[in-house]
Amino acid sequence: MSAEAKTVAGAVAGPGSVAASAGAQLNSARWRVLLALILDTIQEARARWLFWGLFGLSTLLILFFLFVLKIDLVQGAVAIAGLPVRASRQVSNMEKFVRAAYGFVALFLFTWGTFLAIFASAGLMPAVLEPGRIGLLLSKPVTRPMLIAGRYLGNLLVVALNHVYLVTSIYLIIGWKSEIWHPRFLYAIPVTVFLFAVLLTVVVFIGVLSESAALSLMVAAALVFISLVLAQREIVVKLLSSDWSRQLWEGLYWALPKAWDLGKVMRAAIQGEPANWFEPVWTSAVFGVFVLSASIYLFRRKDY
Amino acid sequence: MSTTLAIETEGLGKTYRTRWGGKEITAVAGLSLQVPAATKYGLLGANGAGKTTFVKMLLAAVRPSAGRALLFGKDADRPESRREVGYLPENHRFPTYFTGAGMLDFYGALSGMSGGDRRQRIPELLTLVGLESWGEVRIKKYSKGMLQRLGLAQALMHRPRLLVLDEPTDGVDPAGRRHIRDVLNGLTGTGVTVFLNSHLLSEVELFCDHVAILSKGKLALEGKMRSLLAGRGYLLTARQVSEATKREVMGVASGARPLDDGVEFQIGSPEDVNGAIDKLRAGGAMIHSVIPTMSSLEDVFLATTGLPRPAPAAEAKT
Repeated sequence: MSAEAKTVAGAVAGPGSVAASAGAQLNSARWRVLLALILDTIQEARARWLFWGLFGLSTLLILFFLFVLKIDLVQGAVAIAGLPVRASRQVSNMEKFVRAAYGFVALFLFTWGTFLAIFASAGLMPAVLEPGRIGLLLSKPVTRPMLIAGRYLGNLLVVALNHVYLVTSIYLIIGWKSEIWHPRFLYAIPVTVFLFAVLLTVVVFIGVLSESAALSLMVAAALVFISLVLAQREIVVKLLSSDWSRQLWEGLYWALPKAWDLGKVMRAAIQGEPANWFEPVWTSAVFGVFVLSASIYLFRRKDY
Repeated sequence: MSTTLAIETEGLGKTYRTRWGGKEITAVAGLSLQVPAATKYGLLGANGAGKTTFVKMLLAAVRPSAGRALLFGKDADRPESRREVGYLPENHRFPTYFTGAGMLDFYGALSGMSGGDRRQRIPELLTLVGLESWGEVRIKKYSKGMLQRLGLAQALMHRPRLLVLDEPTDGVDPAGRRHIRDVLNGLTGTGVTVFLNSHLLSEVELFCDHVAILSKGKLALEGKMRSLLAGRGYLLTARQVSEATKREVMGVASGARPLDDGVEFQIGSPEDVNGAIDKLRAGGAMIHSVIPTMSSLEDVFLATTGLPRPAPAAEAKT
């Protein structure tokens, strides 16, 4: 379009199209702001060595797996697993063994990845709330929910990238060594990232509330342990003497995120067993949405 | 409310409540202030007078307990209103992982600038604040003065119409102060409103054309700098003044001080100055000078806030 044509097009454009253009510009500015906040979080994670620390530890774990498989420990175990059965069933047993090994490794990576991610993320929210930094951020045409969203998504992206790297590498190593490729192992990526996304809402909430990285870490880690204990409800409820204590236990179980159940379901799914995803996923997601909304509410009311 | 005002507040107040006791502490009380666009406005006040709280309420970092604030006619609480504002906070803590250019890029993006605009603007601003060769250096290597200049560049990045500066020369050496003042003086005539919050009276006196003084969270005085400082009278110096002429002039002068080679009269109004000049000439005296006497901003500040004038010894120490 020539300059003249553009001018004419501009001149004939009605108020509606001007408003639409202004709206589009505003939307584009919002995305730009969100992207800047996400990239800033990643840059800060890199500068604080959290990014490289996570990738370094993941690389060490990958090397450890390579080493373990190199010394034929697994081949020995595979051989042992195949010994007592007849040759026709050896392949099937080996597959079961490898699938079980995949499930076990996925559970290990789920636990490892979750804790490491919480440790790495605990300080990122309080850092942005430091006096002299938050004041300047708030002086920009940025809404407070947008600030939280940028920080949250940036943090999540760092952890997700690390987990994709870790789980995919381990998958390739096990597959290459056993020659049994079991793509369900890759469930470990979304499940771990999902649990971290839920726990990160707690890190953000405590970060906004107390501006303390240590407390954010403690509360998020404690939640994982509490969920582990609460998940034993079938046993515990029988042992509790009063109705109110049983209801309290059940209530807490349903209200809090279900780290233990998610791990259990993931392992079952990887091993090809029936897995009930629905309950642990939706209850944890509701918890995450609620806590993140509470963080935004609190952040909007605070003075800096 | 008018949009020719850069800042307008109506009964703006902030009351903090202590955590457990519920005791109320008023930081700012019912402050109504109008800052015309394209002026250089100074906000003064003793420590704890409420200056920083007031600035933070303008920029939505602190929620007002009462009243409202407008920036160019838009509610200060709305993010769009801050699109027009550049801010350099006191005791800023810029993330040290940034390079100078990286920091400008980040804050420019937050202000909604496009990538192309930022790329064009960054070298311009680094040159303006004298940091053109430091753009790719991490800011943890910067001195305090360099950080202040970079902070100023950050505030100017998106070409704001209102610049809010909180103690911009705090901790900066005299050369750095001069540089910052030069940059700010360069904004004169560009239509940019500069709102300067400072406890350095000389700085405000040198730079600002309007001033407001806060005392205990309230607006104690507001006006044009010239009218606040001027109007105290004139010093008329004359030579070869006879005693008879001196007595005649003392009829209109409020005081006289003998000098080695003449007399210095203190006179209140321009009419009396003219009368005194007539009398001196008629008496054969020679007029040497007529100087308007202006009280310093410090005089005005101390009189307004009721703070005691520091003892000479204490002044010498500071």
